[in-house]
Amino acid sequence: MKFENRLPAEGINASHENPLIELAWLLAGSLGAVTILVIAVSFAAQWIAPRIPYRYEAKLAATLPSFATAPDDESGRRVQSELQSLADRLAVHIGMPEGMKVRVGYRDQNTVNAFATIGGQMVLFRGLLSKLESEDALAMVMAHELAHLKYRHVSAALGRGVAVGIILSVVSADLGGNAAGTALSTAGLATLLSFNRDQEREADTAALRAINAEYGHVGGALDLFDVFSKAAGVDRATGVANIEFFRTHPLTENRTMAIRQWALANGAVVDGKRRPLPDAVAALGVHTKTPG
Amino acid sequence: MLDLIELGLFVALLTIGFFAGAIVEKQHYESIRKREREYADVLTFAVRFPPDRVTPQRAFLVHGTVVISSDYFKTFVAGLRNLFGGRVRSYETLMERARREALLRLKHDARRQGARLVICVRFETTTISTGWVASIEVFAFGTALIPERDAAPAIAPVLTPPAIPAV
Repeated sequence: MKFENRLPAEGINASHENPLIELAWLLAGSLGAVTILVIAVSFAAQWIAPRIPYRYEAKLAATLPSFATAPDDESGRRVQSELQSLADRLAVHIGMPEGMKVRVGYRDQNTVNAFATIGGQMVLFRGLLSKLESEDALAMVMAHELAHLKYRHVSAALGRGVAVGIILSVVSADLGGNAAGTALSTAGLATLLSFNRDQEREADTAALRAINAEYGHVGGALDLFDVFSKAAGVDRATGVANIEFFRTHPLTENRTMAIRQWALANGAVVDGKRRPLPDAVAALGVHTKTPG
Repeated sequence: MLDLIELGLFVALLTIGFFAGAIVEKQHYESIRKREREYADVLTFAVRFPPDRVTPQRAFLVHGTVVISSDYFKTFVAGLRNLFGGRVRSYETLMERARREALLRLKHDARRQGARLVICVRFETTTISTGWVASIEVFAFGTALIPERDAAPAIAPVLTPPAIPAV
């Protein structure tokens, strides 16, 4: 037997290919995987959440601060109670899910918007209320938000936010925890809940059906989108405030068209006698419209 | 803003890890290859018994140990690799360097004590987790043999020094 030592062979046990190539592949692969996972989970959560009985959502909402609040003064309380009674009337036409009690909040802020949120709550801003000229238009806003509540769009968006947050927390604890936390926190509920076009269309249709039943025509819906278009025009000229409504509810032109089409298809009248705004709500408009 | 700082820090660490790691690795490989030629006269084998069992031998333990740290880049790439499986290429060079370095230190130890033959060479590996970037320790040990009647000539007929190509 002959023993000898030879120099170690190169390139068998360790590869000397550029590690950046491996990094690029791994990054592309993992980002792709996370993206697919996030999309899949987001769709799944969006599908499952509205199918979870409402009482669980109510329980979760009970742990959060209430949205259905109003400024603690005479006018604030009156506005809230007027809005609440209109919401109760419209809820009958919309047909709310079992156990969902609608609660309306009012905020004394210039924001031209309204939103529906967890636990059958909706919030209307003074900025929007002050621009309305009839109860019909107000009813359209409220019926639209009620429809979001009815179809559990809020739970769908919330479920999506939390689920995506949980997935991201696998990748990065901080990032994911933040996302899930934000989705569940008060700020997240008010600002991050966004609905897709189908959901908006669904809410519009239900709202039209409701105000047609209540008022015998859908003129209020056209008034409402008129208000938005005008407000947006004024806004762009002055550049003072942004119309929040467009960020969360896009495509006003299309929606006006859709209202007319819906009316045509369902034999509804697009014009009719408007009912005046409830007193306290009307007072908001008078106040802001006074020049100076 | 805080997220942006974190991301920037991460990218900076990754870049530093990549360049510093690449330079360190290149230098280490050069040094290893050079010393492997220098220590070619010390022969190491995995056999358990001496090739020359006739000549009485003096036997003693020799060892070499080395601790090498991964860099941020390697650890990150290996972490991603954990998601998919497959060859952890970034750690392969690390382990190879560590084993070859440990063996070289073993040879150094043997030569220092006058031995030109080490048998029954074995390796042990330990992972030293230092929190965010791992280090490895590789320990090589074996039995050095020196023929009782004055070393070299006794094993010379049995053991041929390696043919070393010119550098």
